[in-house]
Amino acid sequence: MFLVAALLLSARTAAAQTAATPNSCRTCHASLAEARLATPAEVFSQKDIHRESGFGCVDCHGGDQTAADKARAHDAGRGFKGAPSGQAQIATCARCHSDAELMRRFSPRQRVDQAAEYVTSVHGKRLAAGDTQVATCASCHGAHGIRQVNDAKSPVFPTNVATTCGACHASQTHMGRYTLPGGAPLPTNQLAEYQRSVHYAALTTGNDLSAPTCNDCHGNHGAAPPGVGSVANVCGTCHAIFAQKFATSVHQQIFDKGCVECHSNHAVLKPSDEMLGTGAHTICGTCHSGSGDKGAAAADGMRAAIERLKAGVEQSGSLVARLRNAGMEMSAQELALGTARSQLTLARTEMHASDPARLTPIVDSGLKIIADVDAAGDRAEDELQYRRRGLALSLGAILLVVVGLGLKIRQVDRRSREHHERSRRDSG
Amino acid sequence: MVQQLVDWVDERVDLSGLRHFIAEKGVPIHTQKIWYYLGGMTMFLLAVQIFTGILLLLYYRPSATEAYESVQFIVTRVPFGWLIRNVHSWSANLLMATAFAHFFSVFLLKSYRKPRELTWLTGILLLFLMLGFGFSGYLLPWNEVSFFATKVGTGIAGAVPIGGKFLLRLLRGGDDVTGATLSRFYGLHVAVLPAITTALVALHLLLVQRQGMSVPLSVARKVKAGEPLRQMPFFPNYVLRDVLTWYVAIAIIAALAAFYPWELGKKADPFAAVPPGIRPEWYFLAMFHTLKLLPSHVLGLEGEQLGVVGFGIAALILVLVPFLDRRSNRGESSPVFTALAVLGLTYLVTFTIIGHYAK
Repeated sequence: MFLVAALLLSARTAAAQTAATPNSCRTCHASLAEARLATPAEVFSQKDIHRESGFGCVDCHGGDQTAADKARAHDAGRGFKGAPSGQAQIATCARCHSDAELMRRFSPRQRVDQAAEYVTSVHGKRLAAGDTQVATCASCHGAHGIRQVNDAKSPVFPTNVATTCGACHASQTHMGRYTLPGGAPLPTNQLAEYQRSVHYAALTTGNDLSAPTCNDCHGNHGAAPPGVGSVANVCGTCHAIFAQKFATSVHQQIFDKGCVECHSNHAVLKPSDEMLGTGAHTICGTCHSGSGDKGAAAADGMRAAIERLKAGVEQSGSLVARLRNAGMEMSAQELALGTARSQLTLARTEMHASDPARLTPIVDSGLKIIADVDAAGDRAEDELQYRRRGLALSLGAILLVVVGLGLKIRQVDRRSREHHERSRRDSG
Repeated sequence: MVQQLVDWVDERVDLSGLRHFIAEKGVPIHTQKIWYYLGGMTMFLLAVQIFTGILLLLYYRPSATEAYESVQFIVTRVPFGWLIRNVHSWSANLLMATAFAHFFSVFLLKSYRKPRELTWLTGILLLFLMLGFGFSGYLLPWNEVSFFATKVGTGIAGAVPIGGKFLLRLLRGGDDVTGATLSRFYGLHVAVLPAITTALVALHLLLVQRQGMSVPLSVARKVKAGEPLRQMPFFPNYVLRDVLTWYVAIAIIAALAAFYPWELGKKADPFAAVPPGIRPEWYFLAMFHTLKLLPSHVLGLEGEQLGVVGFGIAALILVLVPFLDRRSNRGESSPVFTALAVLGLTYLVTFTIIGHYAK
């Protein structure tokens, strides 16, 4: 207890001390030939959130930074503990990061329960069981040259998280020593799978930093695979409406892995209407088939309804676009088509309840809008033809007038010439 | 019936002078006479603009909240509103084309030479007024493209050295393009510019009728040498030809209105991002592209500022052409001014095409 209090006290006063006192650690380590010892001093001197906040080497490593000789500087009596690893590393980081009062001074919004969460993680549990190969704080955040999470170069910045986790989880050498509860080898294809997913595309090519990466489903400090029963809750964090619909579905009781049953876990591909129904390449078809299967009938029915609305939206869309290009004012119909597209999205969402009866009113409402748009489109088409017929008639009338004028011009020109000739003869 | 009406008027107002003028007025016949029709065509298109403009005024509402919707109402709900709006838009563009063609034909044929300096002066001012009509009318539908193009256009006016900022605020009715700008442009488009134009057109026509048609220098020299100048009666021979070309113009405008309707686009949203490819109407493209190509700073002046000063000087030179071209006034050929006209025409055509295809 006394020791913890002493450590906390030393952390609280560290920032003030290191700023004012000389740092023999950096001077000495920078001159060392061995890279293992020199590099940390060099990296820490560059971009590092702790150094920038006033912390120094002794705040994590202990010892005496004012001492001129190695023996005094590395004296265990002066708190020197070298490079902390395993549980010692967790305790070293937690000394400050679990201290709400201290963290409030530097980063008031930052959570202070990382160490507590870590204990509940697979990493933390295995570390407690004596496995020193598992990830600790420095494995993900680095030890020296630590950047803030919102720094794009930080290994835990959203776009870098998958690669950081993949450093261990995609390595067969590293993961080879672990097995699944049933004894099967632990897969190492999660990173490759994730990089095929719609989530990865949104994060990297779509620049959507809110798109999920490893920690959004597994947790970060408390990282663990979501329990079988909680997959829908994990996905539902973002896909709330889908989760609500699925919760009312007959599949909710049947699907062991929830959403993952149809959408996979790491390789979540862009969903398509082709997944629905019992035909070739459908997902439902993997379990449902045959004329007596109610599930097959429901899946096919829902697919047919969605396809009907989709085709309607596409056809009406091209009709409206064609008429608009022909100069007809179709903004009201474009707005209505937007509503029909929303109905299509709603239908695709409602489908997760696996109940065709709930899908029908949504699809019917969309089809009603489509019918109104088509009717307006037909009227616009008639108007367009009327305009063109009118133009043809007008052009015909204008042509007649032009011909008439041409003839009249010839006549007046002839008269002028005759008049001119007469005048010349008369004057001659 | 018509004769009875004329007699009725003649009995009260002596029309013998006018009758004599019409009977005696002739139009020279030579190889370049085709260019004479451009003036009449421009005047006819201006009349179409006035007629369709008045009809549009019946429904148009000049405010940022209603302008777009009122134009939408005109083209969708008002019987033949689509036709009137499309004719107004297409005729405006044809008017600009014929006005420029008329200007260059007069320039190249040296028709501005003594005693027609005032006719040239009123004509040049009318050309500037037509550009003003185009610029102010473009904003009135209050759509996305016109809004941002006006923002760019008025921004260029702000680059005028000494008083540029004042001019910008005067045009916009504030620091930015808002409903106040729309009100000002509407006032300019339907009141101020038409009033000045009416006076200038009347003066221009009076001068043309009073002085008669100019003949090219080569024809004038032959006449001076004693060769007779062939003429056709103004009425009805020339007038009938004029009317025929107007009918052809009506046919072209009607076909364009029916097959290439003027798109209304999206309503202007001042808070939206500037859409890509914003550019002014084609008759401002050459100037716009020139300003784009100028470096940011030239000789200590801002590039845009220098460009605006350059266009100002060019406009002043154009106004003063009849007074600068002394050789033409003496009846001699003046290759320098011919070269100037050809250079100006080549510049406008080339930069308009480049500006159209530039990204």
